[in-house]
Amino acid sequence: MSTLHIPATERTPELLFDFAANTFSLKGESYPENIAEFFGEPVGKLKEHLGAQAGQRIAFHFALPYFNSSSAKTIMGLFSLLDQAAEDGNDVLITWTCEEGDDMQEMGEEFAEDLDAAKFELKFLE
Amino acid sequence: MSYELFTDETEIITQGEAYLEQGAFADPEAAKRYAELLKQYKKLLKNLQRLMKLSDRNEEKLNAMAHVMEEKNKIQEALSANLSKYLSPQIVHSLLTGEKGTDLVTQRKKLTVFFSDIKDFTKTTENMQPEDLSYLLNSYFTEMSKIALHYGATIDKFIGDAMLMFFGDPETRGVREDAEACVRMAVAMQRRMRKLQSTWRFRGYKDPFHMRIGINTGYCNVGNFGSEDRMDYTIIGGEVNLAARLEVQAEPDGILISSDTYALVQDIVEAEERPKLMAKGIEREIIPYAITNIYDEELGCPDLIRSEFKGLRIIADLERVNAEDKGAIIESMEQLLARLREEPAG
Repeated sequence: MSTLHIPATERTPELLFDFAANTFSLKGESYPENIAEFFGEPVGKLKEHLGAQAGQRIAFHFALPYFNSSSAKTIMGLFSLLDQAAEDGNDVLITWTCEEGDDMQEMGEEFAEDLDAAKFELKFLE
Repeated sequence: MSYELFTDETEIITQGEAYLEQGAFADPEAAKRYAELLKQYKKLLKNLQRLMKLSDRNEEKLNAMAHVMEEKNKIQEALSANLSKYLSPQIVHSLLTGEKGTDLVTQRKKLTVFFSDIKDFTKTTENMQPEDLSYLLNSYFTEMSKIALHYGATIDKFIGDAMLMFFGDPETRGVREDAEACVRMAVAMQRRMRKLQSTWRFRGYKDPFHMRIGINTGYCNVGNFGSEDRMDYTIIGGEVNLAARLEVQAEPDGILISSDTYALVQDIVEAEERPKLMAKGIEREIIPYAITNIYDEELGCPDLIRSEFKGLRIIADLERVNAEDKGAIIESMEQLLARLREEPAG
């Protein structure tokens, strides 16, 4: 599957899904006008891709200073997909970058509470 | 009493866990599937709680930002009000709304320029105490500025005892309308001066101020003049000099306008032609007109009848009608009425 790259806009984050390298990232504010239009295709492809992985090292990097409720629902779905991939025998690392003490730290930690198999790492901006 | 938002959902989970603990499922496979469903339900409830928390937090942030914006608006409004005391309110508004910038850019526009000063100001005030002079000047400028703002003038500057204003920029109602507004303002100012003169005399000032006004309409350069660091929004050009020249020639308590302005306002004023004059930067000969009266409802002209329709304009000042002309006027009016009744409209 070829790499998927969507540059950031005022309302949407930069999306970089490198399927060959198994590295994925979302960077920037996220409050799309149409959540399905922005996330629909990338999340569908990611789901298909992760379902076919076994024994792989997978990394997903989140750096989202702000997101709305629809984006939050999508992010929780991504966490769930990644956790499932880990349960399926992959080495999955989710990194969550935010400012220390920021609301986003708390959100990341809460999302990570549901992870059973994937690893989670908080990174603070300097 | 505490309030739990998710009481019902928690109750469902408690009941579900109780079923499992009590061994309510005879089939172990069914018990396993039920346990999985319960786990998913707990996860979904947690997600819902997170989403609500996020939504509430975002709303709180939005409200805080709106509050900050409101405070900033208040500060900006106060700043704008203060700036409007130093600069013309129209200029301040244009700058704050971004309609005008601070580049050294000028435009050529047809403006009506108003120039005024106080006759023999230096001589009148040389023996005056500074406090008295401040009182007279401040009351004079305050009253004149109020009138100027009422008529929509752009106040360019006060130069000692002189005032420079113009109509037609940054806002214009049309060249004729701008000229009419300027002349109306000038008449209102001179009328206000008469009241001020009475007040000043009553307060013991023997030689109250007498204002002279010059008005001209023509193409001027308007915009930001100066340097990148310090500039003035002002007007320059020969037509501005002509307004100043007319002002010097005006009689005390008088208003002298150029023929260009007169052509635009002749329907609303009564004026007398004065000797021709020349002005620096103006090659043509100037015919000045001294305003003697104005037909204006706001300024008070009770016998004036003024109506304007397409194809017909009526301006009648019955106080000025001569007895010997009455018959001819009535005849003309009757002819007009007859024609209007005969001719089909349009």
